[in-house]
Amino acid sequence: MTTTLMSPETERTTTEPRDWRGSGTATQLLVLTGRSLRALINEPRLVVLSLLQPLIMLVLFSQVFSSIAQTDSFPPGVSYINYLMPAILVTTGIGAAMQSGIGLVTDMKNGMLGRFRSLPIKSWSVLLARSLADLVRTSVQLTILLVTAVVLFGFSPSGGIGGVLTALALALMVSWALSWVFLAIGSWLRNAESMQQVGFLAMFPLMFASSAYVPLDGLPVWLRAVATVNPLTYAVDASRNLALAMPVGTGVLSAVAASAALLAVGAFAAVRGFRKPL
Amino acid sequence: MTNTMIEASNLTKTFDDVHALRDVSLSVGKGQVAGLLGHNGAGKTTLVNILSTMLPPTSGTATVAGFDVVSQGHEVRRRIGLTGQFASVDEQLSGTDNLVLIARLLGASKPAAKRRAGELLDVFDLAEAAGRSAKTYSGGMRRRLDLAASLVGQPDVIFLDEPTTGLDPVSRLGLWEVIEQLVGEGTTVLLTTQYLDEADRLADSITVLAEGEVVASGTAAELKADVGQRAVHLTLTQPTHRPEATRALRAAGLQPAHGGAAGAITTPVGVSTDLAVVVRALDEAAIEVAEIALTEPTLDDVYLALAKGTPTAA
Repeated sequence: MTTTLMSPETERTTTEPRDWRGSGTATQLLVLTGRSLRALINEPRLVVLSLLQPLIMLVLFSQVFSSIAQTDSFPPGVSYINYLMPAILVTTGIGAAMQSGIGLVTDMKNGMLGRFRSLPIKSWSVLLARSLADLVRTSVQLTILLVTAVVLFGFSPSGGIGGVLTALALALMVSWALSWVFLAIGSWLRNAESMQQVGFLAMFPLMFASSAYVPLDGLPVWLRAVATVNPLTYAVDASRNLALAMPVGTGVLSAVAASAALLAVGAFAAVRGFRKPL
Repeated sequence: MTNTMIEASNLTKTFDDVHALRDVSLSVGKGQVAGLLGHNGAGKTTLVNILSTMLPPTSGTATVAGFDVVSQGHEVRRRIGLTGQFASVDEQLSGTDNLVLIARLLGASKPAAKRRAGELLDVFDLAEAAGRSAKTYSGGMRRRLDLAASLVGQPDVIFLDEPTTGLDPVSRLGLWEVIEQLVGEGTTVLLTTQYLDEADRLADSITVLAEGEVVASGTAAELKADVGQRAVHLTLTQPTHRPEATRALRAAGLQPAHGGAAGAITTPVGVSTDLAVVVRALDEAAIEVAEIALTEPTLDDVYLALAKGTPTAA
């Protein structure tokens, strides 16, 4: 038994199907990630649909709440779109993370996971590939949102391109970490409907009981208390401070630390749940 | 190298307090087709899932291609193909891309994977739909694509869980031919089915499962002989000759019984006895026969005799 984890691909690549007895981990990741992305390319409608919700939020909020920028609790000299957009990046990233779990459950339903499990591939490479494909998809989504915000809504935060890109990176990091939590939920629940319900029930209050759309000072006391312990507030604040070139303090660090923790717990639970027989 | 490709010893699987499998043993030689016959819920799929490393057994051991399905699952998965009861195809991908995906995961280079996909799509009569996304495929096409996917790496052992369920007769026949061809090339096949004609046609040995237990096993011929319903059916030209004919047959050592119609007689015959005994006895008694037929027991008889008492499929 001298099968190594990362056997060089060339060693296994022969033209005789009888000799195809497994691929290296890198190939598995590449092929599986490519497969998930391919489904997206074949069905761009889904990307457009997934952009609708954040776009609607962007339009509605930037129009409805823009007067908040005139209130006392609002950071002086900041327009509402500049305040809102970094938060939209984070919340959209979180919504996208939920899609990871739904995608996994869909693969369970249509039998693809069963097929993968009968192949000589690592079970975690299936999960990792799914999360990487979703990371790419989320990057595309967020980039489209950013461009829209700049072109149509006059988003031009004082942090400049550098600030926006680091805010984007932070949102992607949070999204990727959370996608593992949803992969874990998906691999245990194994049901798209309950996934969506759990996701919606968890995300909706989290989004509003946070600093995402209005400054904490503008919230009723009890809601402010919830918002201060809401991890989303920290992610949103970190993203916003980066984009607006405001002092970040320990915000970014704690967002990184929290993401790492979510990632670790999520990945562990996802792999465990995934190995349970279908 | 052993010639036994599938060996199961005393496999038991319990789900909570339901016994899905009880003490099941099975042995399949290289290049053989083993048929697993049973109703829904008899434990066929559970057995396939254990042998294909999808499910650990509660107790007992099993090897596939010489490797333990529990401790050497990865080695087993390098040598098997599995087609489950429900077609597992990626609907978003084309037929070609589905097969290329599997080939690449098995370690094929891109060009080799494409070549193999083309070959299989030809074999399974999907070449015309190769570039179309699988969600436009009919049920039969999906099934064939699924089967093709499990054959990409020319596995040593193939598990087919009710492969022809839901297929039209033509596709079914086509699939049988593919399976026969595979076996001709030395592949070992474990096939579960509810269709007796399928097991009869394809399987070298048949194991009948009922409520998780093996209730019979052997070749189709052996199983039929056990149930032993081989019989000669006679229709006399003159119905009034029936008493005479019955006496003559008794004298020849047979146990004739009157059939339903006037002048009809049925007499069970053993495997060794011959139609000739019947013909000679009647000839000597100078009785004319209008019609004579020998019926062999079918697997249906076997199945019904053995699986009696188990609930029939809905």
